[in-house]
Amino acid sequence: MSTDTRITIDGEPVDAAVGTSLTAVFVAGRRWRLRDNPVSGEPRGPFCGMGVCFECEVTVDGRPGVRACLTRVLPGMTVETGPRR
Amino acid sequence: MSALTADVVVIGAGVLGGAAAFHLARGGHRVIVLERGAPGREGSGTTAGNLHVQAVHTRRPGQEIPLDSARFLPLQRAASDRWNSVEAELETSVELRRSGGFTIAETPEQRAELIAKHAWEERAGIETEVLDGDGARAALPQLGPTVTAATWCPLDGYANPLLTTPAYLAAAARHGARLYPFCPVRAVERSGSGWRVTTGELTVEAPHVVDVAGPWLGEIAALAGIGLRMTPVAIQMHVTVRLPETLRHLVQHIGEGLSVKQVTAGNLLIGGGWPALRLDPDGRSPVSLSSVLGNVAQAARVLPFVRDLRLLRTWAGPLAATPDEMPVIGEVPGAPGFLIAGGTYAFTFAPLWGETLRCLVEGKPTPVDVHDLGPDRLMEPAEPATPIEQAR
Amino acid sequence: MTVSCDVLIVGGGPAGLSAAAGLAAAGLTVTLVDEQPELGGQYYRRPSPATLREHGDHRPEGGRLIAHVRNLGVDCRTGHLVWGMEDDGRTLLATGADGTPIRLRGRYVIVATGAYERTHPFPGWQLPGVTTPGFAQHLAAADGTPVGDRVLVAGSGPFLLPVACSLLDAGAHVVGIAEAGHPYRPDLRAVPTLRHPARLRELAGYAARLARARVPLWQGRVVTHAAGQDRVSSVTLAATDDPARPLRTLDVDALCVGYGFRPQTDLARLLGCEISSDAVTGDAEPVTDVFGRTSRPGVYVVGEAAGIGGVHQARTRGSMAAAHILVRERNSSAPGPREIARLAAKGRALTRFTALSDALYPSPARLQEALVGSLNDDTIVCRCEAVTAGAVRSAAVERAGGDLNATKSWSRAGMGPCQGRFCGFAIAGLVRGASDPGGAPCGVPVFPARQPVRPVPVETLLALGDQADLAGEGAG
Repeated sequence: MSTDTRITIDGEPVDAAVGTSLTAVFVAGRRWRLRDNPVSGEPRGPFCGMGVCFECEVTVDGRPGVRACLTRVLPGMTVETGPRR
Repeated sequence: MSALTADVVVIGAGVLGGAAAFHLARGGHRVIVLERGAPGREGSGTTAGNLHVQAVHTRRPGQEIPLDSARFLPLQRAASDRWNSVEAELETSVELRRSGGFTIAETPEQRAELIAKHAWEERAGIETEVLDGDGARAALPQLGPTVTAATWCPLDGYANPLLTTPAYLAAAARHGARLYPFCPVRAVERSGSGWRVTTGELTVEAPHVVDVAGPWLGEIAALAGIGLRMTPVAIQMHVTVRLPETLRHLVQHIGEGLSVKQVTAGNLLIGGGWPALRLDPDGRSPVSLSSVLGNVAQAARVLPFVRDLRLLRTWAGPLAATPDEMPVIGEVPGAPGFLIAGGTYAFTFAPLWGETLRCLVEGKPTPVDVHDLGPDRLMEPAEPATPIEQAR
Repeated sequence: MTVSCDVLIVGGGPAGLSAAAGLAAAGLTVTLVDEQPELGGQYYRRPSPATLREHGDHRPEGGRLIAHVRNLGVDCRTGHLVWGMEDDGRTLLATGADGTPIRLRGRYVIVATGAYERTHPFPGWQLPGVTTPGFAQHLAAADGTPVGDRVLVAGSGPFLLPVACSLLDAGAHVVGIAEAGHPYRPDLRAVPTLRHPARLRELAGYAARLARARVPLWQGRVVTHAAGQDRVSSVTLAATDDPARPLRTLDVDALCVGYGFRPQTDLARLLGCEISSDAVTGDAEPVTDVFGRTSRPGVYVVGEAAGIGGVHQARTRGSMAAAHILVRERNSSAPGPREIARLAAKGRALTRFTALSDALYPSPARLQEALVGSLNDDTIVCRCEAVTAGAVRSAAVERAGGDLNATKSWSRAGMGPCQGRFCGFAIAGLVRGASDPGGAPCGVPVFPARQPVRPVPVETLLALGDQADLAGEGAG
């Protein structure tokens, strides 16, 4: 897939295509562990891809609790994964 | 249809029913507990489980008559003391925590109320400390700039209501009490010198009936021909997503309905008695958006970090309120052996009222004087009780 | 901000779009709200710009319908989550991606909130790399990204076949398809020869493609275990009727598992629409007539939210609701009795087809009972709160007296951000199995719908409160 922008994921530059689902960028980059479950501490990654399961919540441009599956890549966006509230 | 006999029929398996059954069964009485649904699922399963020891705010939103704090405080003190032995008596943890709590004021009037409250508390032997706004923020940095004064009470705390009622019922069962869930009471009649209580399937004969049916307290009394002016309402709870441990103390408001605490799981529980859209006695009462907005806005003003959280769930649970907001406990005049107990803050009072009900059944002196808390003040002469649907 | 319109439609998939097209063409003002960043719903999900450039549109009819709706002047508000309701029981509340709230008032409300995938818990289902088939489908078709290099597609239902095909197209190696039932006797090559209604031709096309690619198909098999460290690396299959005995273990880097779809009904329930339980699927469904009318006047539920029926059924139902509203409005473009009869007949034919197609696959309710019944106590069933099957069973028996909502309180199962959407039915099955084995399901096995139907930022609530204060001052 051709790319046309560079975004930042956990501080690393990642080439991506504008308008692509953010989860697709994670999957293409083999970044599956997006968060740890707050109870068990187990790794979790995107599951339903349609906004229902809340397993793909990340921080986008400083805004926490954003579901990556409902987010499209915008030029220069900054994304942080990891355990969130 | 099977006929059972018992010494006491307890109607309602909430926290009051559980506590009454436990104390009565432990005292050697044969106890049968009848519950219309699943045990502990109504007010006792929907309460925040706060143990308010320092004076509570005097008005819930929508509450007409303010609480008589001067009378209420000594009771609260006794109720608080009674909690100290609950876990040992029940032989299990109910996650009792004396985390301490702040009651805050924002306006000059509320500040004056705090200082008056502090004087009552001193008289009742409840240890509290008055702090100015900066002192309060030094003690609890999460408090926002609108807080002008606060009282700190180290005894405030909470217990897990989802553990407490089952623990009481289990301990009661160990002492021989029998619980019949999903058995709504259909009739309560005099039978000789005692009472006959009938559900769809069971008939129980007993000299004593303890009506601790929460929002249905008035309906059960009405079955026995007793008219009581109860004012049951449904109140809301609001819970945020989980967050790291942030708030170690209970926070409540002196002048408005607001109480906030962080539960063990990490969620923040925001309540304070905001009314639901309506009380639905046959299902789950629907949540009112205005109450959500009102309660959450208070919380975010008093504790600004709330602003950055997300609201996860809301629910509403019934409250067996009395018109004067004071607890009700005692035998119904003219109906020997028929006792009732209920009212706001039933969770805080449950251990004390459980023991008190046992004393009343046995005709012995009660741990605290409850003569002025009896049902006589709520009685309607001759008229049948208003059905619960129309009580609002 | 308050948006007022003739008809408020929640959900921009095939049903909502069809309703919007019918209503806007007749001159009614229509606001269409959807949580997704673009219209189309799950079925007509739009390809990313890059995919569009390189591979074209996999569902061009969806693109045309969306363009048509936009050209008709429908007020389309994508990226807006509808999460609550005012105390008037009518005004809905939505939040944009930036947290800004809006109030939505329609004289009519059409709920077209679609479906989500039916999943069953099994040990390891919470591992990264285990996804729904729908997620794999979107990744492949809309974003040209395979969910993994070695993928097992599992579950039940016709949807597994197009998902496997999309994975092949995206360059993945599909290690196999595990179907819980026996719909394709004796194997995939048999599908084209079956005498089925015309619509199964589509399925036959997928089957032929998979047979050519020599993708193994295992029928009567279910996933019983997934293992891996930070990501799934192996999957165990067992016979559907004997899930305790492992038959085969496969090395994978992704597992897509789902058992069809279930209606997304929380908004319909929040609006107070009467709900009943479907005997075959076990799902809670709003009670609707052929026009999508519910027990609440002026509130319609259409598409998959009213019961799973596929894209053609969804479009028909959307059009029927639009037709009914136009007739009620005495609109000059309202369809005549003949057109309505034609739509109704089409709807009935599609319902018959759905029943026929469903009959090929195992009954979801029975399958669920079997799979949930065999779960080990240490299996996590509530993903959000990490609650195990054993914890649910013991809460149900020891504390809840077999009551579903009490079990939720005592186990925390269903209390997390997804609010029981993926585990609610399994929890209901566990509660029933533990407290009344063999007993009939009682009532509708779902948790009550309360606002917010999804977590909502406190800032949004504060902004709403401020708006209400301003409105109050203005009125005073």
